[in-house]
Amino acid sequence: MDVLTGWWDDYFWGALVVGKVFLCSLGLMILFGLLGAMAKLSNSRIAHKVAGAYTVVFRGTPEILVILLLYFGSAIILTSIAQVFNPEIKFVDVPPFWAGTIAISIIVGSYATETFRGAFLGVNPGSIEAARALGMSDLQTFIYVRIPEMWRLALPPFGNHMLSLVKDTALISIIGLNETMFVAKQAITVTGKPFTMYIVVGAIYLGFSTLVTLFVMGVEKFGERTTVGAK
Amino acid sequence: MSFDLQLIAESLPMMLMGIGITLKLLVISGILGLLLAICLLLMRISGRWYFNVPAQIYIYVFRGTPILVQIFIVYYGLPQFEAVRDSVFWPILREPTGCAILALSLNTGAYVSEILRGGVLGVDKGVLEAGSALGMSAHQKFIYITAPIATRLALPAYSNDVISLLKSTALASTITIADMTGIARTIVADTYAPYEIFISLAIIYMIFTFGLQKLFGVIERYLSRYTKREG
Repeated sequence: MDVLTGWWDDYFWGALVVGKVFLCSLGLMILFGLLGAMAKLSNSRIAHKVAGAYTVVFRGTPEILVILLLYFGSAIILTSIAQVFNPEIKFVDVPPFWAGTIAISIIVGSYATETFRGAFLGVNPGSIEAARALGMSDLQTFIYVRIPEMWRLALPPFGNHMLSLVKDTALISIIGLNETMFVAKQAITVTGKPFTMYIVVGAIYLGFSTLVTLFVMGVEKFGERTTVGAK
Repeated sequence: MSFDLQLIAESLPMMLMGIGITLKLLVISGILGLLLAICLLLMRISGRWYFNVPAQIYIYVFRGTPILVQIFIVYYGLPQFEAVRDSVFWPILREPTGCAILALSLNTGAYVSEILRGGVLGVDKGVLEAGSALGMSAHQKFIYITAPIATRLALPAYSNDVISLLKSTALASTITIADMTGIARTIVADTYAPYEIFISLAIIYMIFTFGLQKLFGVIERYLSRYTKREG
């Protein structure tokens, strides 16, 4: 444990970055998932095709490839734009934080698309008819009937998607995000104790996974408070 | 920015040379992971706490940490110990390929054992009672009733896991292995053409995924040839 002296604060900041990536990608993932699910459930043939392609492509490609493509690809575009204004500029990149966060939310969003689609289809048609009978508008039905029923159905798989987001954060270290993996790499060059350093990284991620799991369990309980006994 | 088709034509054969390593990683860690998963499953359903608890801890740890961290712990971390370097396993652990296979097997084993457990829990109680009524022993019931039905129930989820294993093999490129992704990254470093290279590689992976899905579809149809057709 002595070798870790002096590195705790670096790990703390690294863990903070993991948390930040998680929160940002969570929001984006929900957005991508909802957009994808709505496109899949819409009547438009084009939206249907686009969403279909989205889920096929991002569920069939390795995560690391998407991250590398988004990071280096966006850097090429940005550099060529920047060179129009100032030919001196050699390299402009999107910060690894955003390139990585967007990449993992697109990937996990493609899984969430299927989850949300299934959950929307699982909403009891009787509830929707009841809402209609009460004279609710489409928007009201969506907010007061579809969403409350849908999120309870989506929660268990959605919890797994949240765990994927946490774990995929480690991949962003490949493009230079200074999260815990990155800290470990620096610590190893100084101390020469790779096992100890990576075990700490593992422990930090395990802590995050545990927190997310507990959170999902709590939300599940909260969601069931009005449905207990109704089954 | 232009899309260099000639570059794709030149680099495609180079990337395809890595297909052998990708396949080797997929098949060997798939088989080892499945064996490990079966051991873990038997420990989980043994009903004895001294088997059940260690298996549960193993699954919790390996599912709660990123696969990249696990690969790094095995490849960079284990040689920190004298005992590992002197052991008989050193010839395997010295090679990045051996390390990648070990880490991927350990990881996928944890996921697959949970999938198999889902299958075992899904077996109808009635058929087991029928087995008891026929005077079958617990072992006979497991081998002739539970195992075949659980295999069929677990297969769809298992096929998803094999696909995510395929995607995880791309991470082997982070420990200097020249699999398809590793070769692609080298080409991109030389030519700086991420779009051409990474997108064509993504298509190769998608073809792979598609092939795996078809293969499992065939197996699934074969295994459910005696079951009643639904709908």
